[in-house]
Amino acid sequence: MEKLAENKIIEDLLPQKFGKQGQIWVISLLAVCALGFYAYCRQLYYGLEVTALRDYASWGIYISNFVFFVAISLVGSLITAVLRLTDVHWSTPLTRIAEIIAVSAISFAGLIIIVDMGRPDRFYNLFTHGRLQSPIIWDVIVITTYLFISLLLLYFPLLPDLKIMIGYKERNGKYLQKLYEFLGSFWKNKPEQFKITDKAINILSVTIIPVAFAIHTVTSWLFATTYRPGWDSTNFGAYFISGAFLVGAGGVLIAMYVFRTHYKLEKYITDDHFNKMGKIVVLLALVYLYFNINEFLVPAFKMKKAEEEHLMGLFTGEFSPIFWFAISASMLVPILILVTKKGRTPKWAFFAGILVVVGSWFKRFLIVTPTLLHPFLPMHDVPKNYMHYFPTWEEWAIAGGSLAGALLVITFFARIFPIIPIHETIIETESHEKA
Amino acid sequence: MRKHKIIQVLVLVIALVPSLLMAQAVEKNSLSLNLKYYNDNNITHHLLVQAKSKIDGKFQQIPNIPVEFYITTDADKANLLGKGITNGKGEALIEIPPTAKMEWLKSPNQTFVVTAAATKNFDDAKGELAITKAKLKIDTAEGRMITAKIVALVDTTWKPIAAVDVIVGVRRLGGILNANETQTYPTDSATGGVTAEFKRDSIPGDQKGNIVLVASVVDNETYGNLTAEMVVPWGKKSVYMTNFDHRTLFARRGHSPFWLEILAYTIVVGVWSVIIFLLVQIKNIKKLGVE
Repeated sequence: MEKLAENKIIEDLLPQKFGKQGQIWVISLLAVCALGFYAYCRQLYYGLEVTALRDYASWGIYISNFVFFVAISLVGSLITAVLRLTDVHWSTPLTRIAEIIAVSAISFAGLIIIVDMGRPDRFYNLFTHGRLQSPIIWDVIVITTYLFISLLLLYFPLLPDLKIMIGYKERNGKYLQKLYEFLGSFWKNKPEQFKITDKAINILSVTIIPVAFAIHTVTSWLFATTYRPGWDSTNFGAYFISGAFLVGAGGVLIAMYVFRTHYKLEKYITDDHFNKMGKIVVLLALVYLYFNINEFLVPAFKMKKAEEEHLMGLFTGEFSPIFWFAISASMLVPILILVTKKGRTPKWAFFAGILVVVGSWFKRFLIVTPTLLHPFLPMHDVPKNYMHYFPTWEEWAIAGGSLAGALLVITFFARIFPIIPIHETIIETESHEKA
Repeated sequence: MRKHKIIQVLVLVIALVPSLLMAQAVEKNSLSLNLKYYNDNNITHHLLVQAKSKIDGKFQQIPNIPVEFYITTDADKANLLGKGITNGKGEALIEIPPTAKMEWLKSPNQTFVVTAAATKNFDDAKGELAITKAKLKIDTAEGRMITAKIVALVDTTWKPIAAVDVIVGVRRLGGILNANETQTYPTDSATGGVTAEFKRDSIPGDQKGNIVLVASVVDNETYGNLTAEMVVPWGKKSVYMTNFDHRTLFARRGHSPFWLEILAYTIVVGVWSVIIFLLVQIKNIKKLGVE
């Protein structure tokens, strides 16, 4: 990174008001959210009947979305914790992006579970009547815990930046100034305060890794503890975690490109960041590809009757177009793009990131629904539409609304807080100059 | 000449096709109604009809056939016992109502009739069954012996009947388990009775050890189906066992195994202690800022 004066860094990284593009973006997201809310009101009024969920496919795109959100949230622990603990400094400008993606995704993971419930008013029963033996309860506990840890991991490094932002009273406006003062007026840049903050971030970095592993392992156990073709696997925890790191890293590639271009942050999110993140995505895609081969090759080699129907449905049957798209888009094509030096330039990396995220969303759908449509006991005496699943417009609208909601949270966060840590960037620039 | 022949054949085909189609349209399958009589423990009587038809070379059970049951004859609508519709197994069942008592008492022999009107796919059909009224009685004797006796109505008196095969056993899982290794016993000519030794000592009964002994005559051409039952305390007393309140992985809420509770709560308390510790650190940072 070239030499930058402190004031210039602050000026570059302070949150900016929405331009015309930003306003259109926010209005579009709000419109999608509003449509989703309308569809959810219909679902509340008429019940789950408005969805395509029936006796067999009782989990559809809501639960796919849930698994997707939980997966993408793991990026917080990858960028912030894993790279921090391994003393990798180039990732500093990306830590806050990763953390806000994590907070936003995990919040909507919790919400989408409530959306999937026919009677959301009974949600409190999970806490009052939950069975400790059930992975669903473990999921509730671990999601709540992960959300708190992610919020703390977002908050502690923000404290010195809040102090900087409070100094720009006129630029902030009345309400933002009040918010900044509420959150960080007590920060005085004292060495003791830095000492406590550094210690807290280190503790959080250590704590968040097992919790992050737990959150997605438990999510995988929601499936793997059920005896069904496609889910009956001892490999599911590792399979889910490797996929989660991949989709999270893909999400960061997209966010890096969007923030870099929109806020003109080329000096901070450099080509080298794309190069390094691209290499990480290739590694993660290869690991996930390995787990996929493992997950499909072993049962396909044995071809037990029930597994055969499920696997053939994926390979050549009803779900084959989605299956091959998901495998290609989330793993094969991104690997081919990012393995080359040209592929790790911002535009290509952004494109690869989109492929990873979109492919991964469909991959979650393939994990959830086809299995439910291939039970061990044959389906009979049920209407024909019970044997297939295609989401209704209400389901698409609600799922789309939740995705738009998650993007809105990230957008508003970037409007209110610096998306690249200002204080850490200044410190690293200074130490770079001294070196 | 050849052209002339082709025209002749075409005319013939055109003339025949409508009649062939018509013939196909009105073709119906014949329906067979098989009527059975049941005397249930000398208390109630019921009739069961099985509707079958030969389709594709095989006899198949025909559901959704409306049927009417009559006593003695179907010529008089006053003899109607009731109506039914065959179920998925092609069967319809009716209890003989008390209103048929006067007709029932007229003769020691009884005829039943079942009819089915013609439907879209089947011709009308009729089934008849003639039985001689009989009773099957069951009792026990010393040494865990089961006795059963058949009497039939001859004129106005009940007389023992010989050479009728009787199954003697115990009611078990909806069927009859033989009392010993012998399948059926023929009634003797003098008493019309049979005797079977009960050798099923370990049959589970209810909490008092009660089991249901059964004597049964199945599909007898003269007497139909007769059944008699008797409750005796010859079974093994069942003790209600449950692990409902035990701590297992499959138990209800609050009954999870101790090891799971200790493990889970230790993890939860451990992680949340860290979170609380960090919240306290925020307070400390705040304190340092105020000083």
